[in-house]
Amino acid sequence: MKTQVQPPKWAIDFLEGFCPDGLFECILGDLLEQFDADVEQYGDKKARRMFVWQVFRFFRPGIILRNKFKLKIINTIMLSSYFKVAIRNMQKRKLYSFINAFGLSIGIAFCMLIYLFIQDEKSFDQFHVNKENIYRLEEKSYDTWKKDNEDPYRRSAYLQTGLREVLKDELREVKMATRYNSGASGIVRYGDKIFTEKLTYVDGDFFKMFSFPLIQGNADKLFEHKQEVVLTPAIAEKYFGDEDPMGKTIEIDVNGNNSYTVTGIINKAPANSSLNFELLIPQQNRPYYDRNLDQWASYSTPTFVQLAKNTDLQQFSDNLDKIVDKYMSEDLRNWRERGNIPSDIKVLEIEYTNLSDIHLHKAVSWEKASDPQYSLILGGIAVLILLIACINYVSLALTTSTSRRIEVGIRKAIGAQKGQLVYQFGFESLALAIVSMVIGLGLVVLFLPAFNEFTNKSMALTATSLLELGAITLILTLFVGLIAGSYPALFLSSFRPAQVLKGGFTSRLKVGFTKPLVVLQFALSAFLIISSVIMYRQMQYVTTKDLGYNQDQILAIPTQTGWNEEANKMVSRFRNRMQQDPAVISVAGTSSSFNQGWSQYGYEIDGEQKDAYVYAVDPYYIPTLEIELADGRNFDERIASDSNAVIINEALARDMGWEQPLEKHLNWRNDSTGLGAKVIGVVKNYHFLSLERDIEPMFLTMDKENAGYLTTMMVKIAGDDIPAALEAVRTGWKGLAPDKPFDYTFVDEDVARQYASHQRWMSIMGLSTGFAILISCLGLFGLAGINAVNRTREIGIRKVMGAELMNIFVLLNRQYVWLALIAFTLAAPLSYYVMDKWLSDFKFAISMSWELFALSMGAGLFVALLTVSYHAIRTAMVNPAETLKYE
Amino acid sequence: MEKSYLGEFEELVLTMVGILQEEAYGNAIVTEIKERMGRDVNLSAVHVTLYRLEDKGYVKSSMGGATATRGGRRKRIFNITNAGLSMLHAIQEKRMELWKLLPQLKFADL
Repeated sequence: MKTQVQPPKWAIDFLEGFCPDGLFECILGDLLEQFDADVEQYGDKKARRMFVWQVFRFFRPGIILRNKFKLKIINTIMLSSYFKVAIRNMQKRKLYSFINAFGLSIGIAFCMLIYLFIQDEKSFDQFHVNKENIYRLEEKSYDTWKKDNEDPYRRSAYLQTGLREVLKDELREVKMATRYNSGASGIVRYGDKIFTEKLTYVDGDFFKMFSFPLIQGNADKLFEHKQEVVLTPAIAEKYFGDEDPMGKTIEIDVNGNNSYTVTGIINKAPANSSLNFELLIPQQNRPYYDRNLDQWASYSTPTFVQLAKNTDLQQFSDNLDKIVDKYMSEDLRNWRERGNIPSDIKVLEIEYTNLSDIHLHKAVSWEKASDPQYSLILGGIAVLILLIACINYVSLALTTSTSRRIEVGIRKAIGAQKGQLVYQFGFESLALAIVSMVIGLGLVVLFLPAFNEFTNKSMALTATSLLELGAITLILTLFVGLIAGSYPALFLSSFRPAQVLKGGFTSRLKVGFTKPLVVLQFALSAFLIISSVIMYRQMQYVTTKDLGYNQDQILAIPTQTGWNEEANKMVSRFRNRMQQDPAVISVAGTSSSFNQGWSQYGYEIDGEQKDAYVYAVDPYYIPTLEIELADGRNFDERIASDSNAVIINEALARDMGWEQPLEKHLNWRNDSTGLGAKVIGVVKNYHFLSLERDIEPMFLTMDKENAGYLTTMMVKIAGDDIPAALEAVRTGWKGLAPDKPFDYTFVDEDVARQYASHQRWMSIMGLSTGFAILISCLGLFGLAGINAVNRTREIGIRKVMGAELMNIFVLLNRQYVWLALIAFTLAAPLSYYVMDKWLSDFKFAISMSWELFALSMGAGLFVALLTVSYHAIRTAMVNPAETLKYE
Repeated sequence: MEKSYLGEFEELVLTMVGILQEEAYGNAIVTEIKERMGRDVNLSAVHVTLYRLEDKGYVKSSMGGATATRGGRRKRIFNITNAGLSMLHAIQEKRMELWKLLPQLKFADL
């Protein structure tokens, strides 16, 4: 005929899909007629394009709505039947239904948790009414140490103390401004209640700018006087109980005691706030405040400003530049000369970030700031897991198809149309998806506390968030139900009744896509298994390694005296008091306990720069911690010259290249007149830093004035009854210093805390491993099922010919061993690479031996075989008469 | 025109069905409107309008014979019903009445 050109098939299918049956023929006819004419007039390509466009023009309510009504009627009539059949099917195959629902619910639960995570990240600081106009100021300065040519700048939220006053006085657009210093702590006293508390220094504008509701007090009047304090309800309750806190006076001790009057009670900041506080006191009370006011080279104070509405930000930036020129030009000139900074580079600029963006602005470090990439990565993982769960669902659903094809045949024979069957199976998968949704929500509730711990968040499910979550889950569930259900539904409904019912149905299930998927899943689990095993080993190594001193049953107690001579006296007074008490074995003083800070001194020896860690101690330090002396002796209070002698560690001796250290002097204070401190002893290397670090040069000294006061007591207590011993120490402390809080930590816990973030990652890995193994086992289970179904007849024949159960078992399982091996081959190098990176955080790490890999692989293979064996054994046990009787 | 109301496009399509008689199907109507009125209309719009007119009872449809030119697809031929015809009449009469009420103005020479 005149034309062989055909319009795109998919467009016709699409038209058929949405077009009512009665209208389809004449519409398509008209379209084809038009198409033929277009081909003549415009040529093939354009005609095809026009055809597609025309089809889309028909996709309009006037056409689509014409078929909906008819279908709905069928649906509602059959709905109860579908429901009944779905329930019966689930009951009939409990294990399958459970596995299916479980896999999907894990996927859904994961997505939900990650949705919560992302929501929480995005909700940070959004509750402030004035958030549009509040900005955090930032320093952007040229960093001479940073070797990055692309971006040689350092960004920090710390600015000069005086900046806030200057901005408020000189810039008209700055309506309000507050400084914000958190992280300081002080001793708070009220009556007999004495505790150490976290202090936050702010300005009066703080209460007007931010939307932290005041329960009591007047935001306009707060902090007009210097000696005011605003508390959160928890703190108020702690000190005042049921009394009204307003107008009461408390004492706060930060380098000296001061009285403050409570003038306000403010609600605690919510968990998704970048600002946090317990006790707020005016900035003017910060130590050295007045001196800092015109120190334009000292960057110590984060500052927030609230700009007038509709401020031109470009203008604001220009004004900030002017302020920098006016107040800091001299400092900046020095800075430029010292750092050899080229003149075309700005040494310092003041930038700003909107309040609602600071949480995800990771270039500037802030208390809770996080990387938006985490959200992306986690979101990606969630989608991947859900996808895998869907595909597993499909392959599992197909394995059950054999037993349902008779049902399909009979349904078709008595008049069911293909469309109805599709609806029926679709309905079943939807029902299953809804069951999974309920389980998934349960899992979310169950795992939220653990998830919070891993992610260091405190997300909670409230009624509204639960409702929102429920709605989103429902949408997700319907989506999953449709996606996962559509393939099995189409597949099952396409059986030919005559063939099926005759019994000669020999078609094989073709599911080529599941095999690579199973390998992928398995590789992922293998990666996680190997990583978890290595992490676990390393953490075990870290926590059980001999550190070179005895960390058990030692309390670290701050002397609470401030940084002065009092500290030293406190230690000896406490030692004398506790001497008779059997609960206390010994008391030593030091400038800092383990994982509570350190100090490092640099000195020049023979023109070479050296540095070493310094701990001020007393003679009781070495025996209390059971540190071993390699050479020489301990300090002795009776020998006067010991007061400026040092005991070094072996690392320092090696660093200096000393063969006979006891004959040497260490001139660590760069004393030009004398030889320096005499070395009286050498201790064996012990891990005074975390195991992430090498044992570096270190020395102990009694030279308190130069090395530090004994601000921490190390108290070794008797091990048999720790609560009683603790009580004895507390009583002793209260007798000695009734006006100071008794704060203590256990040294072994402090040491363990150094690895908290590694510990957390290990838990995350552990959990992911669990999930990944579960999901990949589901995939494997499905694949094994399909395989067994496909080979039922073959196995029947083999059995008739005399094959043993064992032969069939091996026959069926062989390929999975192969799949697992391929997966491991893929996973091993990846996990080696990643774990190598992780282990490089530790200077003291286990070596990744082949045994670890072999062990992980063995474990993975075992789990895999366990999974597939179910099908293998089941198929192998079937009586061949059953499978072959239809032939 | 009391009970039911016809839109301008509906009226046009209905008239065309009347004119084309045995040859009134989607494409033919589009072509006819193009030829007589010089107006480009969309096929889907014509179809939707035809079905709406059928709902209202102004046209009825039946499937025509198979042809070789349309990939073997049959045409749906529309016929105007008596109700449709009287509707067109009514519209026409009403319009003439209104026309007569209009003062016989001439285009002013400006």
